[in-house]
Amino acid sequence: MMKLLVSLISVCVAAMAQSPPAQPASTPPQPSQSAPPADPAAQQSPTPSSEEWLAGWVDLGYRWRTDVGGSLEAYRTFINLGSGPKLLGTEFTIADPSHRFFDEIHGRAYGWGDEPSETLHLDARKQRLYHFNADYRDFALFDNLPTYADPLLVTRGIALNEQSFDLRRRIGSFELDFLPGNWISPYLAYDFDRGSGHGVTTFVSTGNQFPLPADFLDGTNNYRGGIHIRLRRWNATVEQGGTTFHDDQSVFQNGGTNFGNMPTPPFGQQTYLTNFLGAYGIRGDSIYSRGVLTANVTSWLDIYGQFLYSKPDTAVNYQQFAAGNQFLQSQILFYTGQQYLVSSAANLPHTTGSFGAEMRPWKRLRLTETWLTDRLHNAASSSENQVLTTGAGSAISLSEALASSLVTNYNQAEIDVFFDATSRLTLRGGYRYVWGNANDAVLPPAGLASADTVTLRRNVGLSGATFHATRKLTLSGEAEAASSGNVYFRTSLYNYQRVRTQARYQATSSLSFSGNFSLLNNFNPYGGMNYGFRAYQESISVFWSPAGEKPFSFLGIYSRADLTSQVNYLDPGTLQPQLSRYTDNSHTVTALFHFSLPRAGGMAPKLEAGGSLLLSSGSRPTSFFQPNAKLWFPVDRHVSLFAQWQYYGYGEPFYLFEGFRTHLVTAGLRYTR
Amino acid sequence: MLNHRAIALSIVPLLLAAAAAAQNAAAVVAPAAAASPYAGSQACQTCHEDLYNGVMKSPHAAVETDHRRGFAGKACESCHGPGAKHAESASAADIRVPSKLAAAAADRICLSCHLNEETRSGRLQSSHAKNQVPCTSCHQIHAAGPLGLLPHGQAAVNAQCERCHVNVVAQFQQPNHHRVPENAMSCVDCHNPHGSLRPAMGRAFAGNEPGCLNCHGDKRGPFAFEHAPVRFEGCQTCHEPHGSSNPRMLTRAQVRFVCLECHANLPAMNSRPVAGVVPPAFHDLRSPVYQNCTVCHQKIHGSHVDRNLLK
Repeated sequence: MMKLLVSLISVCVAAMAQSPPAQPASTPPQPSQSAPPADPAAQQSPTPSSEEWLAGWVDLGYRWRTDVGGSLEAYRTFINLGSGPKLLGTEFTIADPSHRFFDEIHGRAYGWGDEPSETLHLDARKQRLYHFNADYRDFALFDNLPTYADPLLVTRGIALNEQSFDLRRRIGSFELDFLPGNWISPYLAYDFDRGSGHGVTTFVSTGNQFPLPADFLDGTNNYRGGIHIRLRRWNATVEQGGTTFHDDQSVFQNGGTNFGNMPTPPFGQQTYLTNFLGAYGIRGDSIYSRGVLTANVTSWLDIYGQFLYSKPDTAVNYQQFAAGNQFLQSQILFYTGQQYLVSSAANLPHTTGSFGAEMRPWKRLRLTETWLTDRLHNAASSSENQVLTTGAGSAISLSEALASSLVTNYNQAEIDVFFDATSRLTLRGGYRYVWGNANDAVLPPAGLASADTVTLRRNVGLSGATFHATRKLTLSGEAEAASSGNVYFRTSLYNYQRVRTQARYQATSSLSFSGNFSLLNNFNPYGGMNYGFRAYQESISVFWSPAGEKPFSFLGIYSRADLTSQVNYLDPGTLQPQLSRYTDNSHTVTALFHFSLPRAGGMAPKLEAGGSLLLSSGSRPTSFFQPNAKLWFPVDRHVSLFAQWQYYGYGEPFYLFEGFRTHLVTAGLRYTR
Repeated sequence: MLNHRAIALSIVPLLLAAAAAAQNAAAVVAPAAAASPYAGSQACQTCHEDLYNGVMKSPHAAVETDHRRGFAGKACESCHGPGAKHAESASAADIRVPSKLAAAAADRICLSCHLNEETRSGRLQSSHAKNQVPCTSCHQIHAAGPLGLLPHGQAAVNAQCERCHVNVVAQFQQPNHHRVPENAMSCVDCHNPHGSLRPAMGRAFAGNEPGCLNCHGDKRGPFAFEHAPVRFEGCQTCHEPHGSSNPRMLTRAQVRFVCLECHANLPAMNSRPVAGVVPPAFHDLRSPVYQNCTVCHQKIHGSHVDRNLLK
């Protein structure tokens, strides 16, 4: 990682130091925790002038982090920024004046140097010949919150999340378009997604849980190629692709005695684990096809169609070896050794088809119709064989063969009518009908539930309006109300009403206000569940972003959200009726200021400050405070120094042990040309 | 599965629209200004040099030299319509200004060329199109840069979306969130702003699988033993994708309630069955060992090995 960072820094610095600048470059954008919506033109990648072949900027710095007060594990789960040298960001554009191999190459990279989110993007193109896009991200994913595993474990002195992990996930995407902009343009692409790291997981044996270390290793490759055919009145895209997949997770314990978490030993005999190895050998692949059609059939009719088909499958060889004292409830048997092998295979053809049309029979009236069908069918089988060795030295063989299937057919038809009542007011009304069926079964059956067959029927009324009251004021809203006959799950959308409204007022070219409101009510009275769900959120924002060298700009957002949900259930241990009630009431404030400070020595320092504050109450009260400030001091036309302070404070009244607070200070320089 | 209601819903409006359109086609297709002559881009440049220069640095510059689309030498008029009368009178009333048109009318101008693009294939399902959000809300036609008509890079894209979706900005301030505020991800990584077949304009992975699998490939399957909600209703059945105060972006503060709300052991009392109601085992939730279901049922997204999702 450090080698890559050093290489990146070297390339950026060396490239930018080669020739003197012909003219001062504009200040490029910078990432921030919540960047204000600056002038879009200023957000473009830097562009070289006709005399320059390279333009861009690079931010290098060093970050210091104070000791984390409180839970370091929670800090690493949520923030995970560390100390050390960093390539904080760079954006550059390389132009080839001769246009021999490329016209321009644009690049940007952020967060390199053992950071939790490292990104790199390159874009190269030569007009009408090719367009190449590369995107790479390397994410560090750490998660170890005791309250996720078991909120009460800590009270028993066990501060271990049995589903914790420390992973890196690397994601890349590369696409090469040939002859972009031509009537016929083929393309090739490759994407990958790889995960690796360590964690803690559990081995479960007849109710006892044994926390064990685990290694994670998985990867997906996605190859695809296709052709765009763009004619004047119609377009077609045909794509063929395929993926390969592997997952080699392993779980192990070498020596020692692991007694697990089971509080009451079966028949008074303590179970334990002395050695364990579990290895997943998962291999998968798929092919997929995609066809897309859009056409302007006549002046009053456009049609849209899509056909998507994929067929992923997996084949698995799972091997497990365990030693210790274990209990098999179905045989009322204690055993000291286990060899457990599973072979399984699954095949999931998935077909989606969609067709839509937009009709304009009259000047003020438009109709849109869409039909969608989505069909998925997973057929799988599994064969397991295990040999158990008892303390007396005898061996018992057990085997089982299972077959499973999961089918879902989802269909949707929708019609919308748009009516331009005036040039400023558009009204919309529509109707959506949703229907489908699904089933899920494992055979031979075991336990209480091995098969489910469910259907879906939903009628939805749709409406909306957009009103441009003046050139400065826009009001829009949409509402839908549904009545369902059958749904798949207790908490699915059933009889619901959804409302969304938005108002925007552009007071001046620099100042705008907006307000949003959303509401979802969902209710399912059947089957004794009495499910009720209500969520609403209202937000207001103000943007003050004057053009030019104005001394002050501001972005502010305040949002209030309230969510209440309740549904009946029977406690699975006592079969007593219980109510699952969840509430979340939050206030969020986000602000960002930009100040131009008084000039000093001919240079104009700037200060950016802001952050966000979240306060919530309800089922999991939380406070999360993230202020930051950044001071820019330009040294000359090309070099600016900066210093940044960030603070993270997190607290949970119910789980005080997960709170944390820390300061981060970063100092660095930006070189611009 | 044939459904009479869906068939009626589909065919009747289509026939009515076709009949009406046939009667009105002549009026619709004949623009009032069709007879006006073009002035040419050079004439536009005379008064609107900054706008002209902006367009000529953008991908739309290709229109100026592309003879196939029929607007060579008159790129400005490909959107603004014939401009000779305006060039003569200098009156704003004599030129078409898309920003003053209704959203649908403005979009028609863009779509006269851009309908023939793959990204438009989900447009009818797009809430942007349904709510009259015109193309120019995001795409800056005159202030474009070399990469196109809108900002590139996660920070710039997110800032663009934030202008309208301020509710979502707040959701991302929750402690458990995807890395959008850090600008390591952008809104368009998950959503296709032009529309898609998937709910919430979600992107697809490998043809027609949920876009979430683009990064969470280890959850992809197919599994020998599926967890039905993942396939039937998607990841958002249990997760809040923008952010949550709950660990792992779950919809409930404690894991067991996420599970118990479906696995409620309350069979339907009428003819409306729902899936997953009866739990496969009876656990004593008074014991902390059983209070987080996923400690044991660790392969909650689906298992290749165990029907109870234990390994």
